[in-house]
Amino acid sequence: MHALDKWIKEKSISRTQLAKTLDISLATLSRYLSGDRIPKQSIMQKIIATTDGNVNPSNFYATKIQNIAYNKYNQDHLLGIEGLESSEISSLLDRADDIIKDNRIEPIINHKYKGRTLVNLFFEDSTRTKTSFELAAKRLGMDVINMQIETSSIRKGESLLDTAMTLNAMKPDILVIRHSLSGTPHLLANKVNCAVINAGDGQHEHPTQALLDALAIRRRKKKISGLEIAICGDIAHSRVARSNIKLLITMGAKVKVIAPTTLMPLGLEEYGAKTYTNMKEGLKNTDIVMILRLQHERMQGAHIPSAKEYFKFYGLDRAKLSFAKENALVMHPGPINRGVEIDSELADDINRTLILEQVELGVAIRMSVIEHLINNLDNKKFDIINEK
Amino acid sequence: MKNDLKNNIAFTNARLIDPHSGLDELGDLITEGKQIKAIGKNLFPDGTPENILTIDCKGNVLCPGFIDINTHLREPGEEHKENINTASASALAGGITSLVCMPDTQPVIDQIPIIEFIKKRARETNGVKIFPAASITKNIEGKQLTEMGLLMEAGAILFTDANKTIKSTKVMKQALTYAKNFNLLIMVSPQDYDLSLNGVMNGGALASKLGLPGISKVAEIIQVERDLRLLENTGGRLHFSNITTHESILAIEKAKNSGLKVTCSTAPHYFTLNERAVDEWKTFAKVFPPLREENDREAIYNALLENQIDIISSHHSPQDQDSKRLPFEQAEFGISGMETLLPISLDLHFNGNMKLIDLIDKLTNQPAELLNINAGKLKINSPADLTVIDINNSNIINLEDMKSKSKNSLFDQYNYKGKILYTIVDGRIVFESSKLK
Repeated sequence: MHALDKWIKEKSISRTQLAKTLDISLATLSRYLSGDRIPKQSIMQKIIATTDGNVNPSNFYATKIQNIAYNKYNQDHLLGIEGLESSEISSLLDRADDIIKDNRIEPIINHKYKGRTLVNLFFEDSTRTKTSFELAAKRLGMDVINMQIETSSIRKGESLLDTAMTLNAMKPDILVIRHSLSGTPHLLANKVNCAVINAGDGQHEHPTQALLDALAIRRRKKKISGLEIAICGDIAHSRVARSNIKLLITMGAKVKVIAPTTLMPLGLEEYGAKTYTNMKEGLKNTDIVMILRLQHERMQGAHIPSAKEYFKFYGLDRAKLSFAKENALVMHPGPINRGVEIDSELADDINRTLILEQVELGVAIRMSVIEHLINNLDNKKFDIINEK
Repeated sequence: MKNDLKNNIAFTNARLIDPHSGLDELGDLITEGKQIKAIGKNLFPDGTPENILTIDCKGNVLCPGFIDINTHLREPGEEHKENINTASASALAGGITSLVCMPDTQPVIDQIPIIEFIKKRARETNGVKIFPAASITKNIEGKQLTEMGLLMEAGAILFTDANKTIKSTKVMKQALTYAKNFNLLIMVSPQDYDLSLNGVMNGGALASKLGLPGISKVAEIIQVERDLRLLENTGGRLHFSNITTHESILAIEKAKNSGLKVTCSTAPHYFTLNERAVDEWKTFAKVFPPLREENDREAIYNALLENQIDIISSHHSPQDQDSKRLPFEQAEFGISGMETLLPISLDLHFNGNMKLIDLIDKLTNQPAELLNINAGKLKINSPADLTVIDINNSNIINLEDMKSKSKNSLFDQYNYKGKILYTIVDGRIVFESSKLK
């Protein structure tokens, strides 16, 4: 309970009476109490005087900071799933769930973060991820700057860190970065003051994709723990696979990884995943089948002999899906190579697939991540002010 | 220093260690001009003469200066990373009195004028003795042999394509065969070309976790085995540098036992650190060949104790900040190693029970024998290239204090024993620790 609410109760007066004393509207008082707004100085002085100092400014800042009541995510950035606790992941998912609920009832734009800035820094092509971040930020009332940088022009001129420092000088709140080289967001996170979100780095991680996949699973199956989830495709070159494996295992799912040996990375057993080269065997008793995209450049050369052979043994069709549980669902992070990793007709079956839902949930999960990070950012500022 | 009696220096109360003769006892040593004049117990029964510079070693080690067979000096071409002056200062601070510089400069050391340039710069610097290595193939392209005979006459001490391996088995065979004409030494940092292409760290579970392209240890083993097969066929002298895997040691040991003229070396980071050092994207730990898994690190450590690895070199590879402050895949390979060569290697003595004389052997006498140069021993009339070491001095490595132009060391703030007190080249004191006494 808010300290001011407590005081009202102790004095057995009503909120309306207090609002009158302070010469403000009841709505304004409610906003103070919910933490949506902080009293300006003149009103703050009145509050302190009225309550004989029992309520002071820090009470209001404190509520502001805890405006995501269940915030268990205390990181400054979202660089990867690696190292996150299940409570942190749940916090991100829970908030996204709430956002979906709110949006479906009343799809209004929330002006909570008006004046805050999110920068999309994409060194690699992306449609869905970038748009999804942009939409998420705009729904929160933020300003969005999109920077699509051709890797070639960066190579010619400014170094990556210089670009980041330039952006940092503009004081954004959130920097969303996608880069073709693993570890780039981590490098930037050490150099900038804002919160960094990894929107995919090389073959390392793509945490928001894994979070939205988890959200989709949880919404359909009501749980993640205990599910048997098969991830199938080019695991070796997939950041989505890495983030998903880590997340699902952290959340208590049983993860099975299916891939031809040339596309299977070393060391997956260390995370607790089971590996299969035979798809039918791997799909047995599976609740969720996640299909990954096979990059065009892998279809020739030494990874697999041909797309045809790949589809025969590792492409998902109804026949192979029949080895999974009867109500098993199919997921794909997109974009889909129809007829290569998944049968075209199956991909369109909305009863069996979550493919479009995955895109929709992406916005909510990114709103949740942004809220958590801004919250933590404010928390940090609050701590600094308090220390002074 | 005053121009005193024939430029003599008397070292008294020194623990004289000379791996070449097996000497390890307290005694004195006098230099005269550029050479060692006398070595022995109690050379000054009546006290040292007054007109001679005397250094009381107070029981500290006096041994031959180190010989580092694998260094990158970056001059010509990349002077923003290191130049011959700064490299010399760095070497001397590390007790190194002679070094071999790798030919992967810009331009490559594949022609006589470049050798002449290095020699001229070394003369001007007048510090560490520099022995240039020339490349085996022109421009390190692995295609056409360099003028090995002429380069040898100009002063090339050995031939190597530095960190690059010769992809073509045929060219490698020709190189080994041709080198025999002049009894030249070929040095190879073994790494299969295709298997190591684009790799940035050790291949394995950690690389897949980080999403980085790995270099499998098999890449090294295959190359060692290929080149040993060739050597068996061609004869000649071959040295493998930067050995990092257990299986390479086994293959080399077998070849040695069968009588092939093969030797090998490694660098301190390969027996002190494993691949975990690159976790959290530490580009300072990006080296070529990569740091391996713990069992290989241990194998290299033990191979040194078992005397299966002949030499320790620094593989000094200075890189400026801008080459390291990049995403891991774009960052350059290498660590700056000359100033940490001794303190890191001393771990073998303190924790591995290696005799000090055996450790110093791998830093002095063995490389001298390999290069066939008149250095690396305490012998009358030999060059007075010496170093005085306080091996028990506990010491924190501080990057700020490094003399190398690039301070990309992995050992910042490490607490290690072993401090170089003096370095002497040709009878001149060229380095003196400021913190002595």
